[in-house]
Amino acid sequence: MSKQPSPPANIFYADTRFERLARRPGGVEREQAIQRAQTEVDDMKADFGAWIDGEFERLNAALSKAADAPGDKTALERANFYCAQLRDVGATMGYELVTFVARTLCEILDAYVAGAPYDQEIIDCHRNAFLLARMEQYRHLRPDQVPDLANGLLRVVEIASIIPPDPVP
Amino acid sequence: MKNSNINLKDLMILVADPNHYLRRVVNGMLRGFGANKVMEVEHSNGLFQALSGQKIDILLCDMRLPPHGGLKLTRTIRRNSDNENRTLPILLMSSDTSETTVKNSRDAGANIVVAKPMSPSALYDRLGWIVFNPRPFVDTANYFGPDRRFKIEGYPGGVGRRKGDKILDVAAEEGPALGQDDIDSLFSNARTGQS
Repeated sequence: MSKQPSPPANIFYADTRFERLARRPGGVEREQAIQRAQTEVDDMKADFGAWIDGEFERLNAALSKAADAPGDKTALERANFYCAQLRDVGATMGYELVTFVARTLCEILDAYVAGAPYDQEIIDCHRNAFLLARMEQYRHLRPDQVPDLANGLLRVVEIASIIPPDPVP
Repeated sequence: MKNSNINLKDLMILVADPNHYLRRVVNGMLRGFGANKVMEVEHSNGLFQALSGQKIDILLCDMRLPPHGGLKLTRTIRRNSDNENRTLPILLMSSDTSETTVKNSRDAGANIVVAKPMSPSALYDRLGWIVFNPRPFVDTANYFGPDRRFKIEGYPGGVGRRKGDKILDVAAEEGPALGQDDIDSLFSNARTGQS
């Protein structure tokens, strides 16, 4: 039996309202728009310290719950949620190192949810790294400016994320 | 000189992300760009309510928006032929920038991906790219969305490809993580025309 040919693709331009209106004259010049946006972000930095402290507290509480029941995926996912919150805004608000540490911890928590063996020492290592990363003299640093810490955490991710194969029945 | 400024005035922009602080930051950036109508939702139920309740002009959606996730939401919006938002521009915001995730975003029908954490310039340039590089929609039996065959030569009025613009300078040791330029490259496939 011969294979039926696929119907031809319908190709069309939608010309959405977004595209039409965003091309109107009168928009803010790129450099000025970015400068104004950066000013908006900078204005938020005043209360970012309080927010990040709150998120650290919630993350620590979630990590403690996960430590009490390492196999509890809900607890791990909760911790991952708070960790992701830190990761996703840290660098935008000038906390480069917080984003880096949160990124590595998120990867590890993802691996734990997927079945990698839970290791409390690795969690504690990240808690300590967070303490460092939130300090005024460290928070602006990029990972390449603290290579020992950065490479150490990356190595930890590499080792901790190994998921053992299912035993052969 | 070709106009590369984007005018967001009176356009309804929907920001969907579970992180209220990130929503606030993105909202602030958009207002800095000149937007005056920004809505925020924290989960996909709120997103669908917003889409059905009013005309949304562009969606900025988190890749892991609970409970469905950005990929499934994008597919849902694109695949429903009765949905008036079917051609809605969708910008997915993702901290997971692995090659697989970016390809999946493209194949789900997203217009573009922006890496989190994001800078104002990264967001502005990607919005500008959607505005000034309109792509045709392709409607086939198994795909509906922007044409996946395209190439980014640089952002309108922006700085284009930035070799030194790495998210993390130690990214080379991170394995699958990609920078924004890598994401953009993955979205391009002008040479072969294949996904």
